[in-house]
Amino acid sequence: MPDTAEEVLPATTRADWQSDQEVRWCPGCGDYSILTALQLLMPDLDVLREDTVFISGIGCAARFPYYMNTYGIHGIHGRAPAIATGLAMSRPDLHIWVIGGDGDMLSIGGNHLIHALRRNIDLNILLFNNQIYGLTKGQFSPTSEVGKVTKSSPVGLIARPFNPVSVALGAEATFVARTHDLDRGHMQETFRRAHEHPGAAFVEVLQNCNVFNDGAFAAITKRDAREEMLIDLRHGEPILFGSDRQYGVIGLDGAVAIAEVAEVGLEAVLIHDETRSDPSRAFALSRLAETPTTPTPIGVFRAVEHEEYGTGIRAQVDDVQSHEGLGDLDELLHSLPTWEV
Amino acid sequence: MITFQAEDEIAAIGSALGAAYGGRLGVTATSGPGVALKSETLGLAVSLELPLILLDIQRGGPSTGLPTKTEASDLMLAMHGRHGEAPLPIVSANTPADCFYMAIEAARIALTHRTPVILLSDGYLANSSEPWLLPDLASLAPIPVEFATGPNQTNEDGDGVFWPYLRDDLLARQWAVPGTPGLMHRIGGIEKEDGTGNISYDPENHRHMVDLRRARVQRVEVPDAEVAGVEDPDLLMVGWGSTWGAITGAVGRACRAGHRVGHVHLRHLNPLPANLGDLLGRSEKVLVPEMNLGQLSQILRAEYLVDARTVSKVTGQPFTAAELDGIIREALGA
Repeated sequence: MPDTAEEVLPATTRADWQSDQEVRWCPGCGDYSILTALQLLMPDLDVLREDTVFISGIGCAARFPYYMNTYGIHGIHGRAPAIATGLAMSRPDLHIWVIGGDGDMLSIGGNHLIHALRRNIDLNILLFNNQIYGLTKGQFSPTSEVGKVTKSSPVGLIARPFNPVSVALGAEATFVARTHDLDRGHMQETFRRAHEHPGAAFVEVLQNCNVFNDGAFAAITKRDAREEMLIDLRHGEPILFGSDRQYGVIGLDGAVAIAEVAEVGLEAVLIHDETRSDPSRAFALSRLAETPTTPTPIGVFRAVEHEEYGTGIRAQVDDVQSHEGLGDLDELLHSLPTWEV
Repeated sequence: MITFQAEDEIAAIGSALGAAYGGRLGVTATSGPGVALKSETLGLAVSLELPLILLDIQRGGPSTGLPTKTEASDLMLAMHGRHGEAPLPIVSANTPADCFYMAIEAARIALTHRTPVILLSDGYLANSSEPWLLPDLASLAPIPVEFATGPNQTNEDGDGVFWPYLRDDLLARQWAVPGTPGLMHRIGGIEKEDGTGNISYDPENHRHMVDLRRARVQRVEVPDAEVAGVEDPDLLMVGWGSTWGAITGAVGRACRAGHRVGHVHLRHLNPLPANLGDLLGRSEKVLVPEMNLGQLSQILRAEYLVDARTVSKVTGQPFTAAELDGIIREALGA
């Protein structure tokens, strides 16, 4: 007999994680492949369905909880990180995933997103970025590119977009990653890392909206473009890409740039270190591609450990209780000056 | 207990609701425009049918208004301030000491009926103090809470399943918290089929759910209102909230002077006490002193077709017994 009896969770399959609800996204939507990737991954994550909760706001992506045979809340626009924060703080035993789109999390919910990341709440936050408002049929979103013609920008979009990875890094996120909807293996590896990260994990999933913004990421994510256009960040390895790994990312004037390895030498190529406590290198990497038409880093940009908020709260409560004792209402009521009349 | 200072009013109530989904009682407090910011999540809480308490310590408005001065002008907001038909129980406290008991009452309603509840206080109450007979805690009625532990329905294959919107006698659904095996379910703000909780756009189901959400509030047990002063008065003073002291003082003076004046003070504003219509009918004259432009009197007129007259004060200052005494005498022609 082993010294410590490790609890063996009952084996599950994808079907166990599928709810009985009909999946209702437009045929061909990138959301399907994200859902499939996650449903196939869940049996490998060593968690129980009843301990898993999916929380969403509003939008196409926000339908996600209905399709998972777990606990779930389809909340209100932008507020999923706030709702999830209350659940995570009070129920540390749960595994909570927050699902939302670029409109949900970066427009109306931007405030809640950055504070959930800043506090390092134990959540896995997946932002499905399709650079458009899909559910409302094609208005620009906060990640739409400058000049984009949409129903709400008939002569082209003026404002510059958010870069979700940059936003997350700026919000002090401890885990920041990017993946895309055409590579199940990469998605699953990224989601697994997010799940394993203690604290807030943020993953931007480049997701194709084939109806209102078709092909937004095709230049970098379609199969024959990936080698030249996706820079897969791997911790501890030189940042190389290209069919012959002939390109590398080098430091240049405080930022990063792409160079031919033959010209600069392998020693000039940056070694990716996701654990760097200073986020500026990760931030520079997130700015490497201004639009998804030039070589774009994917993978884990940053994975550092800081105290998880709920853990900190509980430690404070435990500490106070250890020298003050458990609270007693009657004692509290009698603790101020009282009189007998 | 865990306390949490959120980034804004919306996140404060959002996190309280998230905690409620996890089987905890979420409480959030605010005043002024913060109440407006919480409206959307209150609507979600009505739809999710989860316990939640909102403390609204009312102050002068609109907008930033009079941040440190009292007013009681959020009654209609509490009643109707959510889009759609989204009723919820409302209680209010009479005195600083009463805040203790009405907070318990709000918790009792929220937990028993699985609903958000608004407790109305105001700046005057919040900044007041009074001698308080310390309660015997053992005398406080416990509030039993039961979580769902197993399936509540059988599907066509004969397997036990969980329907999140099956109801008890109070029309409250079961509180099934994450971590409970076999009860996995998804709930949301989209209209749902009663029973299964599945998304439903069915016209008759929506009608049913709208009626049901109102009926749920009406099932809240409310003690009968009591009349202070003269039980069968010529003039009935009806108040709510922090006006209790001033009205009590003025009615006492009037009664001692031989006038037939009564006083009903409401602590349950939704639903109202079942005997209120009867009490209002006993008096020829009904005066409603309020720190607003007549929100309770509007409700009384609409509910009971009585000629309730507003005595309005919106100066950021509470009523005094002396000024209400004068108003009573004027109304009686005395």
